Amino acid sequence: MNWRLRSTFTCYTIVLPSLVLLFTFVYLPVVWAFSKSLYEFEVGSPARFVGLSNYTEYLFSDPTCWPSLLNMLLLTLFAVVVRLTFPLVVARLIYALPSERGRHFYRILFLIPIVVPGVAVQLIWMGLIYGDRGLLNELLRLVGLGGWAAGWLSEPHTALAAVAMVGFPFIGGFEVLVYYAGFASIPTSVNEAALLEGCVGVRKFLLIDIPMVLSQVKLILILTIIGGVQSFQNVFILTRGQPGFVTNVPGLWMYLNAFSFQRMGYACAIGVLLFLVILVLTVINLKYFKSAEQLQGKAS
Amino acid sequence: MSPAKRLLVHVVLLAFAMLTLLPFAFMLNNVFRTNSEFYHSFFSLPRSFRELAALGTDALRGRSGEVEIKDAEGQVLTVTRGEAVAHWWDQATRGIRRSWVVIRPYMLNSFIVSLTTAFGVALIGSVTAYILARYRFVGSKLVFVFIISTMMFPGVLTLVPSFLLVKKMGLLNTYWAMILPYIAGGQVFAIFVFKSFFEGLDEDLFESARIDGAGHVGIYWHLVLPLSKPAFSVVVIMNLLGTWNNFLWPFITNTEGKCHVLASGLYNLARSPHASNFSTVYAAYAVSSLPLLVLFVYATKPFIQGMTSGALKA
Amino acid sequence: MSLRKILRYGSLAVIVLGTTWLLRPPPEERHADAGKAAKGTREDARFVLKIAPGSSYLPGTQPFGLDLTLHGLSDVVADFEQRYPDTKIEIINVPGVREYLVTQLSSGQAPDIINVNVEDVWTDVQKGWYVPLDQFLEAPNPFVVEQGDPSLPGSKEWWDMFTYQGISRGKAAPDNLNYCLTYDMIETGIYYNRTLFKTWGVEPPQTWEEFLAILQRAKQEGKIPLLMNLSNFNDWCTDLFFDQLYYDLLPGIDLIQDPVREQYLQGYLDWDEIAFLFRKGFFHADDVRYREVWRLMHDLKQYTNRDMMGTDLLREFVTGNAAMLWSVSAIGFRLQADRDLGFEWGVFYLPRFTKQTTPYASSVDMCVIGGSGTQLEITCSAIGDTDPNLSMAERMEKSERLQRAVAFLQFLCLPENYARIVNEYPCMLPNIKGVAALPVLKPFEEILARRYTTTKWVYTFDLRFGEIQSRMLGLFLADGVSEDEYLRWEEDNIRAATENLLRRKSVDMDKLEHIWEGKAAIRATYRDLPPEPGRDAR
Repeated sequence: MNWRLRSTFTCYTIVLPSLVLLFTFVYLPVVWAFSKSLYEFEVGSPARFVGLSNYTEYLFSDPTCWPSLLNMLLLTLFAVVVRLTFPLVVARLIYALPSERGRHFYRILFLIPIVVPGVAVQLIWMGLIYGDRGLLNELLRLVGLGGWAAGWLSEPHTALAAVAMVGFPFIGGFEVLVYYAGFASIPTSVNEAALLEGCVGVRKFLLIDIPMVLSQVKLILILTIIGGVQSFQNVFILTRGQPGFVTNVPGLWMYLNAFSFQRMGYACAIGVLLFLVILVLTVINLKYFKSAEQLQGKAS
Repeated sequence: MSPAKRLLVHVVLLAFAMLTLLPFAFMLNNVFRTNSEFYHSFFSLPRSFRELAALGTDALRGRSGEVEIKDAEGQVLTVTRGEAVAHWWDQATRGIRRSWVVIRPYMLNSFIVSLTTAFGVALIGSVTAYILARYRFVGSKLVFVFIISTMMFPGVLTLVPSFLLVKKMGLLNTYWAMILPYIAGGQVFAIFVFKSFFEGLDEDLFESARIDGAGHVGIYWHLVLPLSKPAFSVVVIMNLLGTWNNFLWPFITNTEGKCHVLASGLYNLARSPHASNFSTVYAAYAVSSLPLLVLFVYATKPFIQGMTSGALKA
Repeated sequence: MSLRKILRYGSLAVIVLGTTWLLRPPPEERHADAGKAAKGTREDARFVLKIAPGSSYLPGTQPFGLDLTLHGLSDVVADFEQRYPDTKIEIINVPGVREYLVTQLSSGQAPDIINVNVEDVWTDVQKGWYVPLDQFLEAPNPFVVEQGDPSLPGSKEWWDMFTYQGISRGKAAPDNLNYCLTYDMIETGIYYNRTLFKTWGVEPPQTWEEFLAILQRAKQEGKIPLLMNLSNFNDWCTDLFFDQLYYDLLPGIDLIQDPVREQYLQGYLDWDEIAFLFRKGFFHADDVRYREVWRLMHDLKQYTNRDMMGTDLLREFVTGNAAMLWSVSAIGFRLQADRDLGFEWGVFYLPRFTKQTTPYASSVDMCVIGGSGTQLEITCSAIGDTDPNLSMAERMEKSERLQRAVAFLQFLCLPENYARIVNEYPCMLPNIKGVAALPVLKPFEEILARRYTTTKWVYTFDLRFGEIQSRMLGLFLADGVSEDEYLRWEEDNIRAATENLLRRKSVDMDKLEHIWEGKAAIRATYRDLPPEPGRDAR
């Protein structure tokens, strides 16, 4: 008993740094997020308790609220669609190659862009692709369609689409690797059975391959959704939500309220609301989207 | 697979790869071009390269004598071939040299922050995971739940309060404002990876070590570390990738601008007077990609393993 | 296999060593005159002062298109440090935005000397973040005094050293104290392609109608008539157009004429007056003049570049694609430096509105909206060596740090030092007597002789106001919202900003009301004033 207690004590001593760090830098901010959202305050000024009025103000009287939620939804949906298709197709094509060297080459090739910092990628797109004299406009001028040249990121009817299209053709090395790992783990017996039944080509891709990589699809889906709801770095760098609030998203509005307008409580409230959205979506995802293992488990 | 089909697959894959890499090709091209070239012809290759190539072929053909170049004030000067080479070389590398002056401190900060974080995460994560994987103690399950539950709090929830916290702790404008929260957050994934790895190790090894009288430190040092190289490389690489690319947090917590890392520094650079020379900006983007490129080239295998190990999370 | 390994680890070692070598800290002084570098290090300096001089003079930067690495300011700093070995001056680059300032100043971490638009300072004076400079400006500049010539400007009052007295002194805050050293001047103007103008047989316009005719002509000729971006519309256009339409009304609506600033600012409308006027129905959707401001802006937009968010306007101008470029004086040197520029250029200022432009035109010349460029303020960090519980006056009395900071500013104003910094390249117009503007900046001296603007809208209210106005204006100009919808947004925006302002600052509305009633007779002579909202609005 004595030994056991001492061991327990030792164990806790060893994991203490982990717990202290987590408590300080994760749990405390989480608690603050909720508690401070009930106050109105600037950094360094006294706080004023306002109850739930930050929430009601955002949801019911902030004109940016619903349009920006819609933007978030559209951008996330678009991201989900393209990240579930383009890299999947590419991974399948790579998987189809007969030589291991070829497969390795393409996996590496698509992974290379990951070394460029994300900020730089967005700035490159902003300047070199969408710029006044960027690739897009220069190409249009080259083929005599100079009249179509536009400020892609600054005109109300193109801005949101331009933000969504950054990264075209949307083949992230990460997604390709994940899907490829999924294809690579399809048992040979499944492939042979499919071949025997004459199930090949697109038909096999849709009927056999995709169901077999569902757990990978689900992973990308969850990551894309969480990223889509909370990330605003792309919009922050590309447009700051402009023109007007056409490309605004709630995360960006939270940032501006906190660090530009000094409305810390209001910003915390927006953060809490976004957290709730993510929570609900994740739960739905986990509950209703069965992974391949579960499907297989049921079948057997 | 028929050869025609195989060719088609290659063509499609290469086309996709070209589209993916296109923006980076334009970035590289403009590392070596002047503003005037950027203004007047978007698609052409760097003039300095063309001139250097011409000088090179001339040299091969054995031509000699003097050539004309335009100097900074637009005066046409007649110079020797050696001077002309020096001139064009200077022009080609100007962007890189100017950008390095700006991003050198950012690069250094990035190294300090990322490496310290990776070290901290690997150390704390592996130690905690070792205890959780190999010992059962009162509340050990609860501790694991306490750790793993943090995965459900997204960054957007804690961004503002975390800022208030580090501000209150007086950490703004220090490396600690980045390192400590990074370790706190990064260790969770590390503990997850390490724990499942350690649980897969043979219990007999630990048993015999304990019988030999090894303590916690001894077992960790002589047994766990040597066996867990793959897990460590996965954790370290994933962590490096994460901290290296983090933009928003360093951007917010470095109000004085002294501890900017590459990500936030590049954003500032793009908005600073330096940005009026485009080659400086694009050179900065290119140079800041080099460290990860080196890591990628020299550690391709753990890199790919690390990326796919993300699948563990789902 | 082993050869491969050797290659692999050998090359890795070379890369690591090379990187380490590249990352080594650079030698302290990179410039040719390294001999002048101060010997003192940070450790043995009693005073470490931080200065954020803004982007124009940042040592180590290369101005656009020039083969020049700036070092003027660091040279002067080195001289100062040599004179005061106990002092070390750090030049830092900070984001020049109020977002940054608010976080820094509220926590006392700001640089000791910063460059920030003084209107931003005015908003925060009541917070004790800035040190008033009047007592120093009214005393002699010691560095001038020691030169021994009592006829030199600055030997009686530091104030006398400045060329643009009106603009410099007019930067006093609404509390009548001056927190700002107007270090240099900047102004906007329209750069025009003189070669094109000659081909078309047109001259710089005298009235808005002539201006529109040229814009029309340029459009027909397939050129972009006028290059400007959203912030030009939001900042400059708003103030100029507002001034053109409301100048006539000033006798009836300018409520506070404070004795110190009036002779320079001539009827400037401060935030309290704007807030009061808003409550009286001005700047609402049914204020016809206010509506006219935005309509005229929307008309002008038809002649400008499409992409209002683009920052690289210069490019279209230098490539001859555009006829005119509305920009700041600080951009002229870039045109001068462009070796491939195939045309002549000139500068003119915007011509006035006529009754034909709008029935509400005041028919006065367009006013000055630029003025002070680099505006140096001393922040509360400089008195950080004193007890924060004391009053500002006592802290200023006691602080030795502050003495050094002030001495540094005085040193920066000495003509020989000044010329090294401001005239290192032709970016800003000098504001110190005895230092002449470089040739390319000459046209702007004439513009600066004009009357100052009626108000500066983007600096009137909080940042939220500015952010929303800029965004919605951009959307309105790009036809993303209708005029009515835009005005509704703007009205809500001013209302929220007014309420916020009145909650934070003590504004004596009763006093304003009293003056307002006293001017009823004057206002009775004006037509089309906005209807006063119901009394319950108060």
